[in-house]
Amino acid sequence: MLLEVRNVTVCYDTAMLLNDVSLEVAEGELLALVGPNGAGKTTLLRTIAGLVRWERELRRGTRAGNITVEGEILFDGERIDRLPPHEIAARGLVLCPERRRPFRELSVLDNLRAGAYLVRDRRKVAETLEMVYALFPVLKSRSGQVSGTLSGGEQQMLAIGRALMTQPRLLCIDEPSTGLAPRVCRELFAKIKEIAETGITVLLVEQDVRLAFSLSTRNYILSHSRVVAEGTGEELLKDEKVRRSYLGLAASAGA
Amino acid sequence: MVGDILVNTLINTGVYAMLAVGFSLMFGVARLINLAHTAFYMLAGYSIFFFITRMGLPWLPSVLLSILIVVVVAVVSYKALIDPMRERETTVLILTIALALVLQEVMLILFGGYFRSVPSALSGYSTILGVRVTNQYLLTLGVVAVTLVAVWLLLMRTKLGLAIRATAQDREIANVMGMCDSRTATVTVAIAAALAGVAGAVVAPLYILEPRIWLPPLTIVLAIAVLGGLGSLKGSLLGAVIIALSESLVVFLVPQGSFFKGAFSLGVMILVLLIRPEGLYGVAFEEER
Repeated sequence: MLLEVRNVTVCYDTAMLLNDVSLEVAEGELLALVGPNGAGKTTLLRTIAGLVRWERELRRGTRAGNITVEGEILFDGERIDRLPPHEIAARGLVLCPERRRPFRELSVLDNLRAGAYLVRDRRKVAETLEMVYALFPVLKSRSGQVSGTLSGGEQQMLAIGRALMTQPRLLCIDEPSTGLAPRVCRELFAKIKEIAETGITVLLVEQDVRLAFSLSTRNYILSHSRVVAEGTGEELLKDEKVRRSYLGLAASAGA
Repeated sequence: MVGDILVNTLINTGVYAMLAVGFSLMFGVARLINLAHTAFYMLAGYSIFFFITRMGLPWLPSVLLSILIVVVVAVVSYKALIDPMRERETTVLILTIALALVLQEVMLILFGGYFRSVPSALSGYSTILGVRVTNQYLLTLGVVAVTLVAVWLLLMRTKLGLAIRATAQDREIANVMGMCDSRTATVTVAIAAALAGVAGAVVAPLYILEPRIWLPPLTIVLAIAVLGGLGSLKGSLLGAVIIALSESLVVFLVPQGSFFKGAFSLGVMILVLLIRPEGLYGVAFEEER
């Protein structure tokens, strides 16, 4: 297993955002994590990337509430749940965050370079940059532009490109479809599929179930802070209870 | 005389820029509003005074030693006092004021409350385009210009600079990209202190030195940071130019203008806060969640 999440529970003060969540991602998978708003999908990715623990350290001694994190997270067989985010990144696990979050005052090229911060081999950086430009040609034509002025879709491409520059083994993408037009969305998902086909394992968080299932190899459904179902898109769509309770789809579409 | 005024304005611009860039970077990267920032500038002034007049060292080694002292004092006090408290904003503010006051009192004890002056490194004057300018002013201007260019190259052309700029934009995502935020913060404090050190060391021969000289530039730096947008590099540079130029205009054109210097920059600050609180380039603060 490339990533194993074992019995992870996260509480912000008294609010339980993740309740005994376990999941596994195998090398080469394109795993989708779906579920309604507030189910804990983003929190799970943030926990995996080390940001929840980092936030907890920052809060220490302040009046902001306590955060507790329990459980184990293993990446490539080694525990990473106590590592700071930058060391987790160094091991090849990268987060492409919710709301894209480019470094707004930096140019497109500088954003991509920031992704390559840990890569020492200049040739490797140049190669990856070419790969990213080939994947998203619009980034090449806007390389000098300040990233804050890009459109939403371009910012999402930049965020994914920046994550790719880190040379990840596992790419976690949080809600890439947010605020994008359907056409842009479809294009983007085709690109995500291309990325997965190059051998990078992808963990995709998405609210649009059909879109997610259209490219994923396997899925988890998260609801009310728990994992409630797991399986391929086909299996999950066949399950009437899952359809009705968690996917918000009509009871039967003849599937 | 006209030349000196012109060069003086340029020097002020550069000095304000050096102070404001450091102040702004520290806020952006370390989330630190360092009210002791100009106390480092004062410390550099006293160090160079000490090395030149008491130890009899030449100008250049004195400047370098002063910068070194300032950087060491800044990094040690950051690591020992501020970093452990860094998410408690009010505590940090009070701590930095305390640090400034401690430095002020130490200078008072060591050197007394007298007006001190640092001898010029160069004497005489040069004539440029028919305008007479003292050599000391030219030297200062040169050092200021070289320092600013060096910092600009460091920030824009190196990996360290990229990490500093990225962290200033989004600390969390910079971490996710593999940049260690606490290391970047410490380096930023060192760079900011070095800038304040250069500023203090080079202007010391132009002005009078006394233990309270850190206060007036602090209000100016705050005004520049607010005007440019706290945390923005471009903003602090542009803010420094605007404040320094308009300050010179006020001083030279308005009768008794020099009395309005402080009031002018504070006035700008109040206006900006009323009209556009995020400043010229400030980002409306996005919640880091």
